[in-house]
Amino acid sequence: MDFATGLVSPTLRIGVTGLSRSGKTVFITALVHALLHGGKLPLFTALTKGRINRVYLEPQPDYDVPRFAYETHVEALTGDDRHWPQSTSRLSQLRLTIEYEASGLIARNLQGSKLHVDIIDYPGEWLLDLPLMSHSYAEWSAATLAASEREPRKSLAREWLAHLATLDPAAPADEAEVQKAARLFTGYLASCRTDDVSLSTLPPGRFLMPGDLAGSPLLTFAPLAVEPGHSAASGTLHALMESRYDAYVSRVVEPFFYNHFARLDRQIVLVDALSALNAGAEAVKDLKTALTDVLGCFRQGANSWASAMFGRRADRILFAATKADLLHHSSHDRLEKVLELIVEDARKRAEFAGARIDVAAISAIRATREATVKQGGETLECIAGIPIKGEELGGESFDGKAEAAIFPGDLPDDPHAALDGSLEGELKFVRFRPPLIPAHGAAGATATFPHIRIDRTLEFLIGDRLA
Amino acid sequence: MSEDPRKPKAFRLTPDEPGQAAPSKDEPHETPRPKAKPKTATKARSPRALPAPEIEFEQDAGDQPLVPAIARDHTMQKRFKWGAMLVSAALGLASMWAGLAATRLIEDLFARNEVLGWIGSGLLGLVLFAALAIIVREIVGLMRLKKLGTTQADAARAISADDARAAETTLADLRSIYSGRADMRWGMAQLKDHAQAIMDPADRIRLAERDLMVPLDEEASRIIARTARRVSVITAVAPAALDIALVGAQNLKMLRELATLYGGRPGTLGTVKLARMVAGHLAVTGGLALSDSLISHLIGKGLIGRLSARFGEGAVNGIMTARIGLAAMDLCRPLPFLTQARPGLSDFMREVVKFGDGPPVEDKPEK
Repeated sequence: MDFATGLVSPTLRIGVTGLSRSGKTVFITALVHALLHGGKLPLFTALTKGRINRVYLEPQPDYDVPRFAYETHVEALTGDDRHWPQSTSRLSQLRLTIEYEASGLIARNLQGSKLHVDIIDYPGEWLLDLPLMSHSYAEWSAATLAASEREPRKSLAREWLAHLATLDPAAPADEAEVQKAARLFTGYLASCRTDDVSLSTLPPGRFLMPGDLAGSPLLTFAPLAVEPGHSAASGTLHALMESRYDAYVSRVVEPFFYNHFARLDRQIVLVDALSALNAGAEAVKDLKTALTDVLGCFRQGANSWASAMFGRRADRILFAATKADLLHHSSHDRLEKVLELIVEDARKRAEFAGARIDVAAISAIRATREATVKQGGETLECIAGIPIKGEELGGESFDGKAEAAIFPGDLPDDPHAALDGSLEGELKFVRFRPPLIPAHGAAGATATFPHIRIDRTLEFLIGDRLA
Repeated sequence: MSEDPRKPKAFRLTPDEPGQAAPSKDEPHETPRPKAKPKTATKARSPRALPAPEIEFEQDAGDQPLVPAIARDHTMQKRFKWGAMLVSAALGLASMWAGLAATRLIEDLFARNEVLGWIGSGLLGLVLFAALAIIVREIVGLMRLKKLGTTQADAARAISADDARAAETTLADLRSIYSGRADMRWGMAQLKDHAQAIMDPADRIRLAERDLMVPLDEEASRIIARTARRVSVITAVAPAALDIALVGAQNLKMLRELATLYGGRPGTLGTVKLARMVAGHLAVTGGLALSDSLISHLIGKGLIGRLSARFGEGAVNGIMTARIGLAAMDLCRPLPFLTQARPGLSDFMREVVKFGDGPPVEDKPEK
């Protein structure tokens, strides 16, 4: 059906994939803003060649999905008290239509030289659920328990593990106990996300970002110390937990995946490597595990004639290290190397399937400018901007008003140093407030956000479809 | 990096300039002063691409460059040139004779009449001045021609190895080649506009190619097509004894036009040097190009040869001229063909066999 529709009104589904706080919402907002207002995108050939006639937002095709609150996000980024958008708590969708000068006969006459670009935004936590589709309750329990045995998780999990020790899987189910276990487990997951730990592999994601399911039985379960392959007797605690887990997978995870991720044309994987580097080697390792698991769920690879008719695959995948404006551009190569290491397995798999791969350090909205500071005979490549209130560096706390030049430390030449722990305390990436953009740019046009490599991203993701 | 990793640091800047939070586009040199921090010299600048001196870029020695620079003729071994010695010694003698003759002439003129003597000295001064100017122009022309070649090699390295320093050099070269030209002003403005964006070195070169080379390529194609057409007509109609000389002159004129277009500005020596380079280039790449298209064209145009031997010859000469023009384009273009399609011989075939003033060749679509 996609194939038939695609002939008449071609649609490009872009999967913006990224764990929570990787910058999906800002990326989508900036992308749409740049396209709508003709931002400075020198490498996006279709735009610079003048082949794009008009770009506009259309009502999205799915009636039951909320619209992406584009205007609200732009307002948040440009308003008086400019700030980054709140973390996303529900799914939303946006359809962008690009009218362009098509060169092909079919594109010009049959398709009306239009390309619909569908983008969805969703809480990144939910993405963590995708690997659960291939795990049973017992397997998931075992993996979660094994992970909690190691630091830094061990100390965070103490309370929950203490309660777990009092539970007997074979005992009759007691709703009060189940609720307490779920609450403690959720607390443990939430504490793993704080800035100084910054772990990523924390399924099930709805525990962290429940959306409209908060308090429902679907979210009231927790791992138990059960043997894999051991079937639960009915009426026991084990049986109850298992049935809820299965319901969670079949009613929450699978619809989310099949409705939104099973048919992607292009995929961009946003990775916030800098936060993980801030927190240390454990966080980087955890990020690597989480991304490898999540990306293993997607259909990627070159499309053939048959796959075009019976289910498309993402044939271009861009791995992007976001927030590249938090370090000087001379370090971008190294950031890309770290990213390549983090997505190593996912990238190999996609490449083997025949997908086209690119890796780039990007910043959807560039909040800093670059500077060099000479101090004590050495020259430091800094970035300058207004750090967010409460950010700290070297014993100094920022108030969210003063501008500061930050030297975040040297990224290692050998990316493996990010995994072996030798970087502890050597790096600190400070977050900045969104840039102040003038109300109007040159010649009365709306000013656009400064960015890093968004044009290259666009060219890679949709450039070939606008030829 | 060999030095120890450096610790993260923060430097406070003056808070009362909120407008500077956004990377400003057009004021590159605003300098917020450091607050009360005597030891810390803070100098903030708006974003732009800076060469990063302390990064050691890896030399991938084992890898083949992905974008080859133009193949050049390295087959001639350097030997001691007796011929060169003969010519330069003879030239030295001749110039001594000329100097002597001139001095004697001036002396004679003064002996005859002082006014005549002064006029003679003035004329001699003009002669010397003009000769000097010609020599300087030739040297500059040769140097500019050489610069086009080195720029091309730098660009190829910047693309293949994503080498930031090579990209910087390439762009600086391009700026110096094209800065004074009215027809390049739009492209140069674009280039300057992009200079402050952060992007990969390879992308920077691709962008420069798109901004600067596209209009030049179109003009170059027109020059080649025009000359090829003219050569084929000249061969067909000119008397047999004259046509070689006329065709040669046309070809030299085309070389000179192409080099000037791409910023070479060659004088006589420069043109001769370019002609030699083109010959070398054709010798190196000739076999390859011959196999792909020339044979089929020769056979295809055999029909014209049947109709008229002169027209057949004209077509062959026209094709040859187009090949020379393409080779000169390869040599003179300061950037390799990256985002733009390289014009091929077949693009000019129509022009060659048309024998008339048709419209110029159409622009080729992008790759």
